[in-house]
Amino acid sequence: MTDLTREGIKATVGEEMVKVTVDGQEFEAPKGQMLIQAAQNHGTYIPRFCWHPRMRPVGMCRMCLVEMETPKGRVLITACTNPVADGMVIDTKSEVAKKAQEGVLEFLLINHPLDCPVCDRGGECPLQDHTIAYGPGESRFVEEKRHFEKPIKISDLVYLDRERCILCARCTRFSDEVSGDPLIEFLDRGNFTQINTFPDQPFASYFSGNTVQICPVGALTSKAYRFRARPWDLVSIESTCPHCTTGDRITVQASQNEVLRFLGVDAEATNWSWLSDKCRFGFEFIESPDRLTSPMIRQEDGSFTEATWTEALELVASRFTEIRDAGKGLAVLGGARGTNEDAYALAKFAREVLSTNNIDCQLDDGLDPQFLAATADRARISDLDSARTILVWGPDLKEEHPTLYLRVRHAVQEKGARLVLIHPWRNGLDDRATHKLTYRPGSGAALLTRLQSEEGEVATALAEGPLVALLGRTGYGEDGRLAEAVAAHVRSLGGKLLPLARRSNVYGALDMGLAPSLAPGRATTDNPGKNAAQILEGLAEGSILGLLMVGSDPVRDVPNGELARQALEQARFVVALDQFLTDSSRLADVVLPVEGFAEKEGSVTNVEGRVQKVNRVVPGPGQSRPDWSILDDLSDRMGRSINLVSAEAIAKEIATEVPAYVGVTWDMLDAEKDGVVVPLPEATQPLVYLPADTPGKSFSGELVLHYARTMFDDGVLMRHGPSLEHLAPGAVAILNFDDARRLGLSDGDQADIKTSQGSARLTVRIDPSMNHGLVYVPFNQPGIPSLGSDPVVTVTKA
Amino acid sequence: MSEWSEAVQERARAIVAQYPQRRSAVMPLLFLAMAQDGYLTEAGMIEVAEWTGITPAQVAAVATFYTMYKREPVGKYLVSCCTSISCMLLGSDQVMHALEEEAGALHGQVDAEGLIGVEHAECLGACGGAPAVQVNYELIEGVTPDKARQLVQWLRKARPETVNTDELQQLFGGTTSFEWAIKEEVGAVGPYPAFESFGSTAPVSADGTES
Repeated sequence: MTDLTREGIKATVGEEMVKVTVDGQEFEAPKGQMLIQAAQNHGTYIPRFCWHPRMRPVGMCRMCLVEMETPKGRVLITACTNPVADGMVIDTKSEVAKKAQEGVLEFLLINHPLDCPVCDRGGECPLQDHTIAYGPGESRFVEEKRHFEKPIKISDLVYLDRERCILCARCTRFSDEVSGDPLIEFLDRGNFTQINTFPDQPFASYFSGNTVQICPVGALTSKAYRFRARPWDLVSIESTCPHCTTGDRITVQASQNEVLRFLGVDAEATNWSWLSDKCRFGFEFIESPDRLTSPMIRQEDGSFTEATWTEALELVASRFTEIRDAGKGLAVLGGARGTNEDAYALAKFAREVLSTNNIDCQLDDGLDPQFLAATADRARISDLDSARTILVWGPDLKEEHPTLYLRVRHAVQEKGARLVLIHPWRNGLDDRATHKLTYRPGSGAALLTRLQSEEGEVATALAEGPLVALLGRTGYGEDGRLAEAVAAHVRSLGGKLLPLARRSNVYGALDMGLAPSLAPGRATTDNPGKNAAQILEGLAEGSILGLLMVGSDPVRDVPNGELARQALEQARFVVALDQFLTDSSRLADVVLPVEGFAEKEGSVTNVEGRVQKVNRVVPGPGQSRPDWSILDDLSDRMGRSINLVSAEAIAKEIATEVPAYVGVTWDMLDAEKDGVVVPLPEATQPLVYLPADTPGKSFSGELVLHYARTMFDDGVLMRHGPSLEHLAPGAVAILNFDDARRLGLSDGDQADIKTSQGSARLTVRIDPSMNHGLVYVPFNQPGIPSLGSDPVVTVTKA
Repeated sequence: MSEWSEAVQERARAIVAQYPQRRSAVMPLLFLAMAQDGYLTEAGMIEVAEWTGITPAQVAAVATFYTMYKREPVGKYLVSCCTSISCMLLGSDQVMHALEEEAGALHGQVDAEGLIGVEHAECLGACGGAPAVQVNYELIEGVTPDKARQLVQWLRKARPETVNTDELQQLFGGTTSFEWAIKEEVGAVGPYPAFESFGSTAPVSADGTES
């Protein structure tokens, strides 16, 4: 069933099976599936350039011409635009089909330069491979090829060589259909057709790197990988992306022990081969020269000196033992960026060795850890594909959960789901929203009450299931309990939900018990400890003396950065396990270098509770060690051994000891392409958390702050990657025209933004789409102090 | 945020309202943008992008395909000479040459003063009256090289605000495809087609016809 719409050919693949014969082999395929896909599923590869399994077909390159038998004789058809039909007989290798394929290749090579030896794509190039497999061997074309300036920079990350382009439209279709920011197009159609941007409007898409991956020639190349390696020199190992919580599958490629590239893997459960630019180019930190290579101890004057592991660990063990035995408080912050095995080791270390429940892997992120880890009616990402209504009331997915953003776009655009989008301001999904509601942070509870009681379009849409809700905090000013109250409402409507948090492996860390109220395996603790905000307060006022930070940078990463700074300065003894000296670890007494992503093996858990493997590709720098090994060593020195011998042994311990993870082995994860969702059928989850309908505090002020994350910021992993470090948008304060006028501000003025927890001097931008009484400031921008989580704000002209 | 005058915005709104989806209005709006600046500027394309809700790159993709969207100044009078087969057989090469020589501008160029642009065009649909020439898309049939020279001289001297096919035909034309035609009441006011909804038309003046 082909539906010819404005948007092109859309096949509706149904349940019904039809019989097709390809090259003499008869098989059954679902009616409506494109011939090229059906043939491939049954072992016949039909050559193609423009067709991509995750995009609509266009039939532009003509490479997939095959012969079909019809009552009127045999005809050539494009396998990518023709769905299978009952009784279809296809020949992909007939003389005519072969001649057609040769002809297409000869035609494509008219203008394509034969510069494979110096082309980045050489060795992994579909055009090169197809030319060898299906090409005519020689060309009759003796005239001059087209010439363009090469290459041109179409964005900060992507270069375009128009001479190599074969005009397959994969990149333009991706940016239009998939990512929704069509900033590149065919220009000058005719003899000089070329892909290009509008003058002075670069291809500034958060997803631009995908076009490099899907380009079937060397026309699009990335700044980070250009001329770095030849594909045959690369070691490729599959792993899971270390950046966002979707758990995107990637291939990590390295040459000579240096990670050079991440590629997206087409995993049905998660990312469908797509990656955001933050994920794709966020590998450079691994090879950063700023990585810590040896333990360091801070001296009286504040400088660090390198130490041996023995010196450093002895010092840490004696000081922590002293504080612990004196009955003074100890606390642990972090652990969300490592593996489940490291998180398990940390939880065990904290509870058994440090004797504390003051553990938090979230840095004042606002959502209840029990809600995140163990909510009732938790959805799967794939539920979005069959949803009738999708509710997004949380962070801007495009900024914070980029591949979920793509999945929601797809569900709405291609599957006809209705999107109810609730956000304080502009949002990446605005153009696909069926209903968009805006509100000022602080009045979310009132809006929810209205939705619960009122009859109206939105309420009607929500009532019509299947309903899937993506819920979280829209910004730091919002009470985390609002998302829970929304979740309770969604549950009352029979919907499913995904509570959204950031920090790559936060769900795995929570499942391993890195929260004050959680024990390993999604169970409650008897004696809950303090959360991140309380730990920082405790340190600042002296009720907690010692702190262990594990891959966390509270000074830059909690909304109230000033409190974090005071806490670290006041603390008696601070130890940091980190890859870098951060604004926080600089204040530690001892800094221990750890192995990071791609340097250790383990498992991680994503937003839907899916456990997947991360793998070791390169060795860690210098004397760096995995977290678990450092913690085990310390536990011995503190006289309470936690007895860990390897990450794999920890995995085995988890698979037997941790309730929700019972039965999850590395062998299973290596065998299952998409990992497994915990708990497995044979396991039980002790805690099923029912979201509470208590939407938290409401407040109002003349102006409230919408303080939210952007994809690129001053995060540690980005700060140490040359491709990404300049992409942070920078701090501004965005106001409505009327508010700006009332405050005597005009566009470009400097203004002092003050909350009860912090202040900053920022450039004012006026945006007519901003709500009245709202100020937007992006979180964690380079060189700007944090403003805290109190949303009541004053703005005065500087 | 529009740079266009209120009257032009009113026209743009009317154009957009004709279509079920606003992106469909991109082509008429591009002519409207041309009518503002005399040719299609980058600012004009950005303006059209805002009106249609698509990106400037998508607008440029349309604008760069069609030869009638001029992205360089083409003068006040764009003279297009058909060089397709019927016209070519009846001497359009000589007509084109005469136009180029008289105007002092080759194909795709504008004369020194920036008044007259010359181009050769594909079939203008007037094979029965070949060779055919257009001034601002107003048609003249049966043009000879001499008449072509006179046409350029007249444009330079009379500088009419409006050009109109009936007048031009009378002054510089010859054989026509048909002996009858509906009288054209309006003429074109610039190097873009005369469409009332774009405001690129004006009534023919009674006294502007003398050479």
